[in-house]
Amino acid sequence: MFTMSQPSLSSQQQQQQQQPVPQPDPNVQQSAPAQAPSTSNEGNISLSNVISAITIAMPPSQLNQHLKNFAPKDVREVVLASLLPDGQDPLAVLDIQANTLGILYIVSARMHTTGAPNLPPQYVNEFCRRFVPEQARFAPDRVTLLAKGLPLLAEAAGSLKLAIQPLFDLLSRYPPSLSHLTTIHPIFLKTCVSTRHFSAALPILAHPITTIDTLISDLHYNDNLVYHYAGGMVYSALKRWSEAQEFFEICACSPGSAAAAIQMEALKKLVLVQLIHEGKTTPPPKYINPVLPRLFKSTPYSLFVNAYPRHRAQLRFIVDGEQQLFAAEKTLGLITQALDRAPRWTIRKLTATYLTLHLSDIAQAVGTESEDEVRSLILGMIESSEISAQLSADGTVYFSDPPVKLEKADVDRVLAHAQEQGALLDKLEKELARSKEYLTKAVKGKEESAWGGTMDEDMGDRTGSSLNWADEIGFA
Amino acid sequence: MEVDLIESDIPNQPGLVQHQRKRPTRPIDDAHPFDLDAYISSYTGRTAVDRLINITASCPSIAPQALKLAFTHLYLLRDSSLVSAAISAYEMVASSPEGQSLPPVADVVIVETGWIEKVANKNMAERTKLEVELKTYSNNMIKESIRMGHRDLGDYHRATGDYASALKHYTKSREFCSTSQHILDMCLSVLELVIEQRNYAHISSYICKAEGALDAAAANAGPAGSDNTTPVQSAPKKPGVEREQIQSKLNLAMALSHLGQGNYERAASSFLRLGPAEQLGDWIGKLVGPGDIAIYGTLCALASLSRSAIKAQLLGNSVFSVYIEQEPYIRDLIQAYMSSDFKTTLELLSRYSTRHYVDIHLGVHVNDITQHIRNTAIVLYFQPFETIRLERMAIAFGWTVDEVEKEVVTLIQNGKIQGRVDSQNKILKAKKPDHRAELFAYAMKTASDIQSTNRKLLLRMRLQQADLVVKNPKSNPRRDQAQGLEAAIAMGEMS
Repeated sequence: MFTMSQPSLSSQQQQQQQQPVPQPDPNVQQSAPAQAPSTSNEGNISLSNVISAITIAMPPSQLNQHLKNFAPKDVREVVLASLLPDGQDPLAVLDIQANTLGILYIVSARMHTTGAPNLPPQYVNEFCRRFVPEQARFAPDRVTLLAKGLPLLAEAAGSLKLAIQPLFDLLSRYPPSLSHLTTIHPIFLKTCVSTRHFSAALPILAHPITTIDTLISDLHYNDNLVYHYAGGMVYSALKRWSEAQEFFEICACSPGSAAAAIQMEALKKLVLVQLIHEGKTTPPPKYINPVLPRLFKSTPYSLFVNAYPRHRAQLRFIVDGEQQLFAAEKTLGLITQALDRAPRWTIRKLTATYLTLHLSDIAQAVGTESEDEVRSLILGMIESSEISAQLSADGTVYFSDPPVKLEKADVDRVLAHAQEQGALLDKLEKELARSKEYLTKAVKGKEESAWGGTMDEDMGDRTGSSLNWADEIGFA
Repeated sequence: MEVDLIESDIPNQPGLVQHQRKRPTRPIDDAHPFDLDAYISSYTGRTAVDRLINITASCPSIAPQALKLAFTHLYLLRDSSLVSAAISAYEMVASSPEGQSLPPVADVVIVETGWIEKVANKNMAERTKLEVELKTYSNNMIKESIRMGHRDLGDYHRATGDYASALKHYTKSREFCSTSQHILDMCLSVLELVIEQRNYAHISSYICKAEGALDAAAANAGPAGSDNTTPVQSAPKKPGVEREQIQSKLNLAMALSHLGQGNYERAASSFLRLGPAEQLGDWIGKLVGPGDIAIYGTLCALASLSRSAIKAQLLGNSVFSVYIEQEPYIRDLIQAYMSSDFKTTLELLSRYSTRHYVDIHLGVHVNDITQHIRNTAIVLYFQPFETIRLERMAIAFGWTVDEVEKEVVTLIQNGKIQGRVDSQNKILKAKKPDHRAELFAYAMKTASDIQSTNRKLLLRMRLQQADLVVKNPKSNPRRDQAQGLEAAIAMGEMS
C-alpha cells in the first residue's frame, strides 16, 4: 500500500486517472479472469460486469443480493477493489446518488483490501455527504466496513481528525433517526475521544439511544458498550456530569450473562463522576451484573469512596499510594477532580447542620490549616450558587436556605414530558401485546392448560374453553 | 489506648469462663454504690462464680472480697478449673496500675489443694462410670437408655466446665429422642448451656427447635387429655401450666439473645412480654436474677422504644412491675425519664453504671445503651422548642455547652433532629421546612429520575430483544451460531 500525498488541488477526475498508471496490480488482473470461467450463469466475474450490474436499473435489494453473492468472499473483495480493465477508476463512472449501493461496496472493499488503488479522501467525504440512505440500508455490513475504514483512511492521510466530519455525515444521514444505535456510533465517538474533539460528538449524544434495529446495522453488544462508555468520556471531559453519569451507568448496567471488562471500567468512572457531581455515590440499579459491584469492592476505588469526602488526609493517602494504578487506568484526572471537590461537599454538609460557623471551624472540618483557603473556597461556592451564605468581616459565615426557584413553565415542561412518556409506554405496551413473541408465548400457555384439560376431564375442559373464549375476544 | 483495644475484643470472645480479659476498671464509691453481698445473693451455682470472677476482674476496690466470695461458691461446685480462673483474674487486677495496693492472693484466699484433688478424682470416677454406662447402652441398642446416657454425660461435662463436650453430648442425644418432650428437654439443656456460655448467636436456633417440639408436645397432649375422659378439667390444665413455663423460659432466652446481639428494640419487647418470675423456675438464680430482668428490660426499652410504647408496655405492665420492685432505682429512672427530667435520668444511669458494667450479659452494651438514651433524651427535649440556647440545654442535661453542641451536631447529621446550630451565638434553631416547595422540588426531581430510568430500562429491553447481551467470550461464536440456528428453525416452524 502506498500513499499519495500530492496536494490534490486538481479535480477528482484527473487524480483518478493518474492513479491507475502507477498501480498495475497484476494479482487482481490475473485473478479476475482466472476465476471467470468457473462460475457459469452469472457471467464473468470481473469488475466491468459488476459495474454494468450496478448501472442497469435493478431494485436495490436484488442488486445487494447480486453484489453479495457474485463470487466467493475473498475474490469478491479483490474484484471490487480493482480497477476497470482499461485502467479507469470505476468510481468515476458511477453517480453517488443513483448508485449509492454499488459505490458503497466498492469503497468499503477498497478500504480493507491491501494493495487496492488509492481512495481519495475527498471522494469519500463527498460520498458520506451525498449518499442515499435508503439504498445504503440494504447493506448494513458494508456501511460498517465503510465506517471502520474512515479512521484508517484519515490516519493514512496524516490526521485522525479528518475522519470526524465524514463519520458525522455518515452517522447523521444513515439511520432513520438518531435514536437508532448503529455500528457507526462507537466508531465516531472513539474517533472524537481519541482526537479530543469532544464537542463534535455532542449533537449525536444529545439523542438518547432508544431503538435497536439489527436490520439496519449489524450490531454487536460491544458497540452498545463502547458507544455509551465513550459518550460518558465525552461528557465527563466537558464536565457535564449528570449526562456522563447516565452514559456510564448505561454501559455498566447493560444486560448480559457475563460482565465485560469495559463495564468494570465504566463502573469505576461512574462512581468517580458521582463523587464529583453529587459528593456521594448512589448504588447502581439492581439489574447490574452482580459480579461488578463485588469486583469493585476489592479495588482501591472502593476505599476512596468510603473515605469521601470527610477524611481528606486519608483520601490523599489513598491517592498517593495508588497513584500508579490510577494513572495506569487513566482515572487519575477524575480522582484528582474528586479530591479537589471534597472540601466543597464537606461544606455543603455543614450548611445543613449550622446556621453560623466561624471560618476556623470550617477549616477544621475541611481539614486544612489556612482560613484564607477556606474563605476563597466559600466565596467561590457562593458565586457559583452552590451554597447560599453570607461572609462577614470577622470571618463568620452565615448559612441560609437556598432560595426556591420554581416557575410555572418548569412544571408545565415536566408535566408535558411525563405525558409524552406515558403515551410512549402505552404505545409500547400495545406493540408488545401484538408482537409475535408475546402471542406465541400466550398461545403456548393456552396449549399447556389444554393439556391439563385432557388429564382432568370436566374441570380442565371448562378452564380450557374459557381460555379459548378469552383469547378469541382478544383477537377480535 | 490499650484498654480500648481490649474492650473492643470482648464482644468477639463469646463469654469464656476463663474470663481473664481485663476490662476498664469500675470505681465503687459513694457516687457509684454497689453492694456486692446483696448483688450476689440472688444468684446460685455457676453463674454466681462467673459473675464474681467478672467483678474481681473489673473492680479492683472490691476484688479481694469478690474473690473470697467466689471461693465460697466455688467449693460447692465441681469444676476445679474455676479456681485458676478466679485467681488469674485477681492477679490481672493486682498487676494493673489501679490494683497496686491489693494484697497478694495468698492473703485473701487459701487454695485447698485437697479439695481440688478430691474433686478431680471424683470427676474422673464419674466420667468413667458414665462412659461405661453409655457404651453398654449403645451395645444393647436401647434407644431411651442411650439418650439418657448422653444426657447425663452432657450434664456432667457442663458441671465440670467442658462446654464443647457438653454440647456434643446434648446434640447427640437428639438422635435418640423418641418424644417431643425429650427434644424439649434437650433444647432447654442446650439453652442453659449456651446462655451460661454467652453464645448469643446460637440461642435462636435452639429456641426454634424447642418451640417446634413444644407445639408437637401440646398437640399430642391435647387429644390424649380429651381421650382420658375421667379428669376432664385437670388433665389439660397441667400441661398448660407447664407449657407456659417453658414458653417463658424460651422468651427469656430469646430476649437475652437479642440483647447479646445488640438488638435492643426486640430485646425490650421480649423482656416486657415475660411471664412472672415463678414461671421461669430454676432459671431465676441459676442464669439471671429477677432484678436483672428489670434492668435489662428497662434499659432496652428506654434506649429503643418511643415514649408512648414505654407507657403502654412498661408502666402499664403489672407483671413487669413485679420485677422492677427488685431494683427500686429502676423505678426512679423510669419516673425521671417519663417526666422529662433527663438530668436525673442520666445521673441515675451513671450512678449505677458499675452495677450495669459488671453484669455479664449487659456489660458490653452499657455504653451503647447509654448513648441511645442520651440521644432520645436530647431529641425529646428539643421537640417543643423552635429555638433554644445551648446553655439552657447544657444545664438541663448537666453537661458543658461544648458537649451539648457536639451531641446535637451528631444528631442533626444523623437526621434525628430537624434543626441547625448557630455556632457563634450557641443557639439551636428548628428548621422550618417549606413543605410546598419541598414537594414541588421532589415531584420535579422524581419526574426526571423516572424518565431517565424509563429510558434506560427501555434501552435495556431493546438490547435484550435484539440479543445484544454481554456473553462469555469463550463460548461466544459457537453459541451465537447455535442461537441463530434455533431462531431460524423456530421462524421456519412458525411460517
